[in-house]
Amino acid sequence: MTAGALLVENATKVFPGVKALDRVSMALNSGEIHALLGENGAGKSTLIKIVTGVYRPDEGEVRIMGKAVSFSSPRDAFAAGIGVVHQERNLIPRYSVAENIMIERLPTKRGLIDRGEMNRQASHWLAALDLAIAPEIPVNRLSVAQMQLVEIARALSQQSRILLLDEPTASITRNEIEVLFGLLRRLKDDGVAILFVTHKLEEVFALCDRVTILRDGRNACDGVPIADIDKRQVVAHMVGRDDALSDIGNRRANLGEVKLELKGVSTALGHRGIDLQVRKGEVVGLYGLVGAGRSELAKAVIGAEKITGGQILVDGRPAVIRNVRDALQRWRIGYVSEDRKQEGLILAHSVAKNTGITIWHRLGGILKLFTDKQERKAIGPFIQKLDVRTPSLDQDVGNLSGGNQQKVSVAKWLAAESEILIVDEPTVGIDIRTKGYLHRLIWDLAEQGVAVVLITSDLAEMVLLADRVVVMRDFRVIGDLPNTYNYEQMSRQIMGRIHEAKLDEEHEGGASAFQGA
Amino acid sequence: MLEALSSSQRLKTRFELLPVLVRAANVAGLAIVILLLVTIVASLAPGFLSPFNLFTLTRNLAIDTVIGFSMMVVLATGGMNLAIGSIGVCAIMATGYLLEVLGLPIVVSIAGGLAVAAILGWLNGILIVRTGIHSFVITLATASLYFGAMLILTKAEAFRELPAAFNALGKARFGPYSALLTVTFAVGAALLVLFKYSLVGRQILAAGANPVAAKLSGTPVERVIVVAHVLSGLCAGIAGVMVAARLAAALPSVGQDWLLPSFLAPLLGGTLLSGGLVSVVGTLLGAVLVTVLQNGLVLLKVGSFWIQFFLGLTLLVAVGLDRWRSVYVQRAGLKR
Repeated sequence: MTAGALLVENATKVFPGVKALDRVSMALNSGEIHALLGENGAGKSTLIKIVTGVYRPDEGEVRIMGKAVSFSSPRDAFAAGIGVVHQERNLIPRYSVAENIMIERLPTKRGLIDRGEMNRQASHWLAALDLAIAPEIPVNRLSVAQMQLVEIARALSQQSRILLLDEPTASITRNEIEVLFGLLRRLKDDGVAILFVTHKLEEVFALCDRVTILRDGRNACDGVPIADIDKRQVVAHMVGRDDALSDIGNRRANLGEVKLELKGVSTALGHRGIDLQVRKGEVVGLYGLVGAGRSELAKAVIGAEKITGGQILVDGRPAVIRNVRDALQRWRIGYVSEDRKQEGLILAHSVAKNTGITIWHRLGGILKLFTDKQERKAIGPFIQKLDVRTPSLDQDVGNLSGGNQQKVSVAKWLAAESEILIVDEPTVGIDIRTKGYLHRLIWDLAEQGVAVVLITSDLAEMVLLADRVVVMRDFRVIGDLPNTYNYEQMSRQIMGRIHEAKLDEEHEGGASAFQGA
Repeated sequence: MLEALSSSQRLKTRFELLPVLVRAANVAGLAIVILLLVTIVASLAPGFLSPFNLFTLTRNLAIDTVIGFSMMVVLATGGMNLAIGSIGVCAIMATGYLLEVLGLPIVVSIAGGLAVAAILGWLNGILIVRTGIHSFVITLATASLYFGAMLILTKAEAFRELPAAFNALGKARFGPYSALLTVTFAVGAALLVLFKYSLVGRQILAAGANPVAAKLSGTPVERVIVVAHVLSGLCAGIAGVMVAARLAAALPSVGQDWLLPSFLAPLLGGTLLSGGLVSVVGTLLGAVLVTVLQNGLVLLKVGSFWIQFFLGLTLLVAVGLDRWRSVYVQRAGLKR
């Protein structure tokens, strides 16, 4: 290991009312992968923003290769050789994949953009990530996971000596994570300094060399070699006590009648012959790789996408679900979106309004007139039940931390008294404690008789929570496996199914819609 | 387990000062600017506080505020309505026709005019949600379409023989003030109830702030956008009928200069162009500012060219200040 590529010394950042960072230090060396951990609100994002020139520290300094630097904008950080994959999506939707990757240095020929060269260079980095998407596709046609990989490709293409990755694996699946990790290890061997922010501890132990942990804006530890620390200690550092990683326990599934049934459903998006049964009190997992059509299926069930064939039955009765309003009000189906910022929440509106939106139609009698007070009374219990940490119900949701935002986007469907709840990637980008809450909540809901469909790309989470795992690939259901709660075994079975289906398909010469190149 | 350990302490239901202050700063700032302006104008132009001037001023205010409301309702959805003036003049001519040619009672005629306005607003809404084309384009087109249709039907002839009782509405006083203000206050109160206490109003704001999230939460986004356009048309119609009463005639030339005031009042008042946030009181104050400014400049015998100039400047300064304030708030890290 060589000396400090990026050094943060005693950085302090104060926002009105909060000390986001309090004398935090971190030393990132060339040729290492360094984990930065902490719960939501611990100050990780603030630290990253200081290093990348979004914020200026009130005190303390940042050194790059030994030289003190003072960035006044993200461009300065970029110029100093820092590549970043931010937690938030930073792609320009209408631009092509190649344009997004190459945007900082578009190749030109006679003053005009050389599209051929641009696509060629972009393809190189897509290939490095094993990503089979055509560089000409506009970014808004990609799935969330593909977008995340494109962002990683962009950061890689800058060939920075310092690479910051803020939760790069939040919404990508295992295979893609493997590819990414392989690549990061190669970069490390080339001497790149890599800072890796994640909520997934397994990844830290699988990939990282040292770990810095923040808690409440302070260093809980600073650059401890991974060999000298175990999972329990890491968690203890993060939450300040060591019992937070409590086992979720066992669940005795108490299954009732079939609540939701899909019979040969096909959709305008390309689903064909989807059969699915979910009983009262059951947690059915939907697993699949990127582009398998899981979220899209969920949206079709709640009436947000068109169903072109087959039948949906609720309580054994055929259900015609024309729009989300029908799903919510008549059939009591709720959908917690994977994309809470765009689809799940109205960030500029208050906690109260975001939670109340699903129950407004029940308030205020015939005239549908009601006061804020009535709204609070109706939603208050759910906000409390989920332990949403907000200064008040009037706070804009956009000002809450990620974990609390996610709790609000779940709370509104609890308030709606959903009898069927589809939960899509519920714990992406969520800290351990909140994750634990949400896991327990999913089981509690099932125990209360709710039929739960769980969509997650985190196989460990799937194996932990689901009673049954339905495997999807290319908008079809290709397997239905009872959960043995044995991770290795389930992982082998599920991946086996997906692989078999892939081979079958290649055998038939069928090409999937999502793998153009 | 889920039993919140100390959530009751954390979840204070007290109201929070900062956002309230930030929001109030806008309205309070506007009120201060208005007071300053009134003081200046009143001291420079002694005629300002005369009963005659107060009457004219409040009559113009009554009308401009409702024009502002008409735009505000659509701004709430994140869209805009460039056809407000055309809808207004259609309502005027319809009312004039019903009064003069058909000789219908005043109440029925006004209702007829408002119905026409509501239908034209509804048509705007339907076109927007069915085609998915931005409201800017649709209402730019319908503004011309409605105006043209009105000219074809009326052959651009005014109705000048309106019943005296109708014309009296424009002259009605309430102390030194125009009685038309009561209509404006009634519309304002209704809108306040709509956006603060009603299902539809909240749904309009939700759809305006984030249509995708609103839709996925069961809000009938398309329907509430249509409702907003109907209300916008209705407000335009109300403003139109007030103008007809003021002029004691239904003139086909009215409405073509409504565009600027329709945007000025809500934008000065803090309504967001991007949707999801409206301020009824702010729109009223915005209209007060514009009306007082206009009136003051007239009294000070500043040429009407300059009035146009100053109105444009006011809008730029107001939105510029607002932009600066929000950037400042963000920089200071008030919003993390």
